[in-house]
Amino acid sequence: MNDFLFTQILTELEDAVGRENCSVKEIDKATHSADFFWLSRMWVDRGRRMPEADFIVAPKNAEETSKVLKIANYYKIPVTAWGGGAGSQGGALPVCGGIILDTKRMNEIYEVNTEGMYIECGTGAIYKHIEWAANERGYATMHYPSSLTCSTVGGFLAHRGIGVVSTKYGKIDDMVLKMEVVLPNGDIINTSATPKHAAGPDLNQIFIGSEGTLGIITKAQIRIFEQPEERRFRGFLFRDMTSAFNASREVLQKFKPSVMRLYDEAETASLIKKIVGVAKPGAFMNVAYEGPRELVEVEEKILLSIFAKYGAEDLGSEYGEKWWREKITFFYPGHMMDIPQMFGTMDTIAPYDKIEKIYWAMKEAIETKYPFAKFIAHFSHWYEWGAMMYDRFIIDGEYVPKDPVEAMKLHNEIWTLGIRTALANGGVVNDHHGVGIKLGRMMKEQYGPAMQVFEALKKSLDPNGIMNPFKLGL
Amino acid sequence: MNMTDKSKNIVDNCRFCWMCRHVCPIGNATGLERNTARARAFGVSLVARGATELSELSDNIYECSLCGACTNNCVTGFDPKVFVREVKREIVLEGLAPAYITDLLMKHAESGNIYGAEVPGELGALACESADTVLFAGLDAWAKTPECVLSAMKLLSSSGRKVGLVTGDSGFALHFLTGETDESREAALACSKTLMAYKTVVVYDPCDLALMKHEWREWGIGTPECISFNEYLLSLVRSGALKVKKGNTEYMLQDSFAYARELDDCKSGRELIDSVGTVRDMLLIGKEANLAGHLVMAEYMPAVIEAVAKMRWRDAGNMGGENIVTECPQEYAALKATCPEGCRVLSVEEMLLENM
Repeated sequence: MNDFLFTQILTELEDAVGRENCSVKEIDKATHSADFFWLSRMWVDRGRRMPEADFIVAPKNAEETSKVLKIANYYKIPVTAWGGGAGSQGGALPVCGGIILDTKRMNEIYEVNTEGMYIECGTGAIYKHIEWAANERGYATMHYPSSLTCSTVGGFLAHRGIGVVSTKYGKIDDMVLKMEVVLPNGDIINTSATPKHAAGPDLNQIFIGSEGTLGIITKAQIRIFEQPEERRFRGFLFRDMTSAFNASREVLQKFKPSVMRLYDEAETASLIKKIVGVAKPGAFMNVAYEGPRELVEVEEKILLSIFAKYGAEDLGSEYGEKWWREKITFFYPGHMMDIPQMFGTMDTIAPYDKIEKIYWAMKEAIETKYPFAKFIAHFSHWYEWGAMMYDRFIIDGEYVPKDPVEAMKLHNEIWTLGIRTALANGGVVNDHHGVGIKLGRMMKEQYGPAMQVFEALKKSLDPNGIMNPFKLGL
Repeated sequence: MNMTDKSKNIVDNCRFCWMCRHVCPIGNATGLERNTARARAFGVSLVARGATELSELSDNIYECSLCGACTNNCVTGFDPKVFVREVKREIVLEGLAPAYITDLLMKHAESGNIYGAEVPGELGALACESADTVLFAGLDAWAKTPECVLSAMKLLSSSGRKVGLVTGDSGFALHFLTGETDESREAALACSKTLMAYKTVVVYDPCDLALMKHEWREWGIGTPECISFNEYLLSLVRSGALKVKKGNTEYMLQDSFAYARELDDCKSGRELIDSVGTVRDMLLIGKEANLAGHLVMAEYMPAVIEAVAKMRWRDAGNMGGENIVTECPQEYAALKATCPEGCRVLSVEEMLLENM
């Protein structure tokens, strides 16, 4: 872009959001160029600079967002939404330059409605802040992912996030009543007044998970819940994962625990041993159940009876409570994998008849082709019909190429192999981290001709292709 | 860029970690991505790898309040303050400080303090060289909240104890602006020489006391027998020397980050409130205290500090609080300037005085 046009666009953006909310400073551009995606981290760790936006723009509301999108459409420059920037799939990376639309000025908490049981807020609000707002009034959002403190409401909506008590309370797409969205052409729309209706398809679900490719979600009504009268934990050790799956499926036909986390033997022997202290061989499982005390009593009896039937060793409440206290500790530096290691989380989901098969197929595929890679997994979001696998590959630094281009090639090869194996065995591209630029190439492999539905939506809503290009395979 | 190994390690661990974003008072007020410990570490890591210039970071480094909320929040114990202070020092020594910082340092060179202030006459009249015990009012206190220092002296005199007043500059502001430099140490040394003449020094501002207890000692500068103002007041209340009456008023304590996190004292302020009324708490208290004001930063980014204070008023309002009690001049000034109608800000001494 030439200097003249650059300056022209800058003045128009400054007019849209205010000069102080529009930056072309190097620190702002650099800060918005790398997220939690391993490739972006590796790239800058090797002294390279990631692709950067030309303008960092922070609108305060839908109206200002609309103005920004109209400018971008006129000049046909890319717009990439940035919330907390803690995504792992490169979804917020401005790979084509243009505008970074940082949503964090849209952080107002408009209302905590304890009659309608929702919080209405700007999507730039940090999720922990809306949790605090709920807590101040005696309620809770029940959306507790590891990135609770660093990610925005919009960030979770954009990639269909999930929290640790999802088995009882649901995923982010279950947490939303209605949303305000700015379409790529600048029109401001509202989805329907409630998420349950027969007035056609659900507009919420078109934009949730669209990763900023179809518009910018600027406001949302997020559900809140009563704090449980009691929350109990119980740790178990299964001799193998098969019996844990069978036991869990049976429990889920009876009631929904809030937390269910099953760790494979490799992760039990590494992370769980280190942080929670379980030192025995086997597959560790932590279960929490909560609500009115009388119900919790009944649920505990059912749980213990079913798990005993499948040979689970009851470890009592100590490990589970420790896990709850430390549930975010896993993700802090010093506990989490970090460069120079290469690593990635290939979370997928499938019905019970397929999920364990996927685990073994992926483990074999990755550890066979890349014998220096370690494959570990846990299963942490459960349904009556199936479960989510949070599987990771980890490669120690000595095996990671020093040349960033070679490291990128290895990284992408492993990902392609892992996801193809998941798809071939009945899984999906991703469960709750999203697609981003990391997995865009795999979307057509999952959807086949169904991908044309997304492509048609994209073409219709964003004919100039300005919204977050090369993400989601669109 | 010169950095200790300790700082390098913190930078490399924080540069891709967002976990403390939610507690940064500046980031919460501005919504800027760069106002996070992660962004600062990321920028420094780019400089360390030759991918950008130190000058590009200058403004952002000075947007950190060094309140330590991020440090307190880090479960693995990384302390971003360490590298921020070191980078500030480098920025100053390399002549890369922003003009608004250079202006403050010039004021210090010309007048002896960064505010270019003179000790108000009514405070100078309270000096008492014959006292064994003195109240030390540091730069922020005497220059920016002299009315609080007067109230403090009035309260102390009502206890029947002979307490003199010493005004000075512990070096807190210079240390904040330049890190560990000769200028910071010289200011601290001059202050130490004055204070060493007294048997007991009651330190009014916890930020000064934290500097004395930590940095002064690290720098080998003599530290007098010090006690915090809160602790001294508590001893007077407990002994009955200060005759306070317990009423029904509810007070919300704005924990000073210096008391809570650097001096490990989250109790004295609450005990003082409890002696005259009832404690009503808001979000983020004790060790998790959220900053509500900063006098040095207010000199060069007043709008942000105003926003920080307003956010704290919002926290108080959410819990129905109307009377905020502050423990340090920084937050007293900012909260006073943004006080909503129907609400009050009181310093600890003002609260006690209205309950005598």
